[in-house]
Amino acid sequence: MIIVQFLLIGAFLFLFYVAIRSRTAHSVSASKKLLFVLLMAVLVVAVLAPDLVTVVANLVGVGRGTDLVLYLMAVSFGFYVVNDYLRGQDNRQQLHRLARRIAVLEALERYHIDHRDEADPEASDD
Amino acid sequence: MNDVAFVVPVYNEASVIGDVIADIRTVTPHVVCVNDGSRDGSAAAIVRAGGYLVDHPINMGQGAALQTGIEFARALPHIQRFVTFDADGQHLVADAVRMLDLLARGDLDIVLGSRFLGETIGAARGKKALLKAAVKFSNVTSGIRLTDAHNGLRAFNRHVAETMEITAPDMTHASEIIELIAANDYRYREVPVTIHYTDYSTSKGQASVNAINIAVDTLLRRVTRQ
Repeated sequence: MIIVQFLLIGAFLFLFYVAIRSRTAHSVSASKKLLFVLLMAVLVVAVLAPDLVTVVANLVGVGRGTDLVLYLMAVSFGFYVVNDYLRGQDNRQQLHRLARRIAVLEALERYHIDHRDEADPEASDD
Repeated sequence: MNDVAFVVPVYNEASVIGDVIADIRTVTPHVVCVNDGSRDGSAAAIVRAGGYLVDHPINMGQGAALQTGIEFARALPHIQRFVTFDADGQHLVADAVRMLDLLARGDLDIVLGSRFLGETIGAARGKKALLKAAVKFSNVTSGIRLTDAHNGLRAFNRHVAETMEITAPDMTHASEIIELIAANDYRYREVPVTIHYTDYSTSKGQASVNAINIAVDTLLRRVTRQ
């Protein structure tokens, strides 16, 4: 095994280990985990057997294996960006709901407004 | 008009908010000012002028401030009608009163102010063209026909205040409100209002480049919402 293969596979395995061991891993959907595992496996194969990747590339009409890997990486990155954006939006929305609740309750208190009805959790919350 | 609450999102408006509140207080004592993390003396100015101060702990954007103000106003006793009103003095209280009178007849849920049915004082030509383009875009994406998509002056009844949930934090909320009108089948009408573009409101208003953000967010919302 040449040095670069050793380093690359070591890096993939480390990433894989960190992702699986992460305490928040259970909140990530199974399909996303599966995709991640698949991607890691493909990358390991690509590092170990570049010729095999070229064979697969030729099968789907791409000239070189490196090109195929590049395309796959580009698509994965696109997914990552969109997923990250949507998750950021969700986080922001939760933060805003919390901050709004604080602001409203504090103001109701300040003006001595009876707020037992309003303090109920919103029915529309998801 | 003791059954009316005005909701005013406030972000760094210390120099003008006092006058705006005083103006509104000539028609109703209920002026709900949501201070959206201002770094100037806005909060003190609100209290001095006699508005309700609702303080966001962090800056969350105008749409988020509106939603907060509406939720606070709902908890005030006997409020049946709500007005959203800009803090920078570009709206006229007289226009809001006309919209509230329309609402009082009971056959509408929400009345929207329109610059293009009314008078626009001092707007640059480029700004007008952009606003018209925004209207076209909004009509296509929401399925609702309006002449002005981004006017901050609105009056609505309790049904709307209880069912509308604005999630877009920033300037995109104007498009979102129109989408909510379509989704919830609110009975709506547009009326002409006068917008007074002063140097102050122009410098505070959104930069025209922001139109791109609004368009992208609107399309994304359509794709990601169920």
